[in-house]
Amino acid sequence: MILYVEKDDGKYGPMQTGSFISANYMEDYLYKRRNLELELREQLVTGHISPVKYYMVLIDLSFSELAARAGIRKSRVRKHLDPVGFRDATIDELLKYSTVFNIPVSNLLQVLLVKDNGGFESCFILESSAGKISVDQAQTGNPCVVLTKIEERF
Amino acid sequence: MIIQNFNHKMAAHCESGTITSLLNHGGLDITEPLVFGIASGIFFGYFHKMKSFVFPTFIVRNKPGQMRTNLEKRLSVRFKTYDFKDPVKGMQTLDQLLQRNIPTAAQVDFFYMDYVPSWERVHINVHFLVVAGKEEGKYIISDAYFPKMAQLDGLSLEKGRFAAGNMSPKGFIFHLDKLPAEIDYNKAITKGIKKACFYMLKIPVPFLGIKGMRLFARKVLEWPKFARDTEHLSHEIMKINILLEDQGTGGAGFRFMYATFLQQAAEMTGKPALKELSGELMQIGDGWREISLFSARIGKNRDLGPDKLKQLSEMINDRADVEERFFKSLSKAIS
Repeated sequence: MILYVEKDDGKYGPMQTGSFISANYMEDYLYKRRNLELELREQLVTGHISPVKYYMVLIDLSFSELAARAGIRKSRVRKHLDPVGFRDATIDELLKYSTVFNIPVSNLLQVLLVKDNGGFESCFILESSAGKISVDQAQTGNPCVVLTKIEERF
Repeated sequence: MIIQNFNHKMAAHCESGTITSLLNHGGLDITEPLVFGIASGIFFGYFHKMKSFVFPTFIVRNKPGQMRTNLEKRLSVRFKTYDFKDPVKGMQTLDQLLQRNIPTAAQVDFFYMDYVPSWERVHINVHFLVVAGKEEGKYIISDAYFPKMAQLDGLSLEKGRFAAGNMSPKGFIFHLDKLPAEIDYNKAITKGIKKACFYMLKIPVPFLGIKGMRLFARKVLEWPKFARDTEHLSHEIMKINILLEDQGTGGAGFRFMYATFLQQAAEMTGKPALKELSGELMQIGDGWREISLFSARIGKNRDLGPDKLKQLSEMINDRADVEERFFKSLSKAIS
């Protein structure tokens, strides 16, 4: 990042530097992010929230913003936040949500977990840690189909 | 194909950096602080409840897109702008411009810029970058926040350019069209400063300018009631640091970059008062950095009781007081 600072000659100018918060508080940020994912995953698998709500909270989107971004009526989105209402979502609506969340549509019906540092961690947040397994989900010409490649990192 | 003679340069902020980059490529020797200052980039706004935001937030720069339009008015430079309803047409036009060797700035949703690690990406529709070429189906991106040019696949760029939601880009792109034969920097600097003083002191909206800072100071005490739990509150409080320092501000919520502008403006206009004021603003910026550090610390320690929030509120109020005095002096110095 670029910071503007006072130079030796008294003039102010740009200096390329690292981020203070990244250097000092990144672990805390990742810890909170993992905890949030765990908490949401628990609510998801016990049927308290829908996958739409899981991703919406995880990526910090408001309900109104999600509706606007997906181009889906607010009343429909409200319904889809509930696990029972989610079952009424059409494939077309799921595709729209998946574009907003930038995930393959298949991930609205599954959470990919990879064993990392002794525990299982969601692929959605895994990039933040140096895991041994790489999961590559490549889009295909068919928007409803994704090719998931799992391999060991060397 | 990468556009010939295009020099990628890091910058403090994406919009001022992008504009500076296009102007430099076109042959105008201008710095990012001058672009930022002439365009009246410095600002403050506090948003307590908005449907598009999950949590209260604040901004420290003027409305996205306004830097370009203000600069056009004040420097008489011309940018050619395009927006699109049809993504196919939007991508085709971009390709045609690149074929003509024209570096083209694009407004995108940062979330789809997959050269950035996923945990850093957020949905924000007002990120600016320069598309500086296309090679083997991938776009060459000059993003002011990165030390090197990056590659981005067409689908991600298209998703970013055509994302919907608050301040959606609608495929918006622009490039330099015309530079004037001569620029009256004296007049441009004066106008830029006057408008910035108006934004900070007189804008008749209760959540903008100095009034916005005071509102922020009052309302930050209510933040716990918006949070899901302590960790969420800690995250939002620590975001104060990110918004002031890490999110492309040049440090202290643009105060250091504006101080640099004032120092450069003092030399260009021959007004020594601006130099003195630039030093004063650097000190004011140090106070904002203390706020950043304090927020990061109490957030990390989960020390978020009413006493700490009151302390934070007082620190913000203090900045409002010193900035009110500062902008009044600046307004006087330029009149």
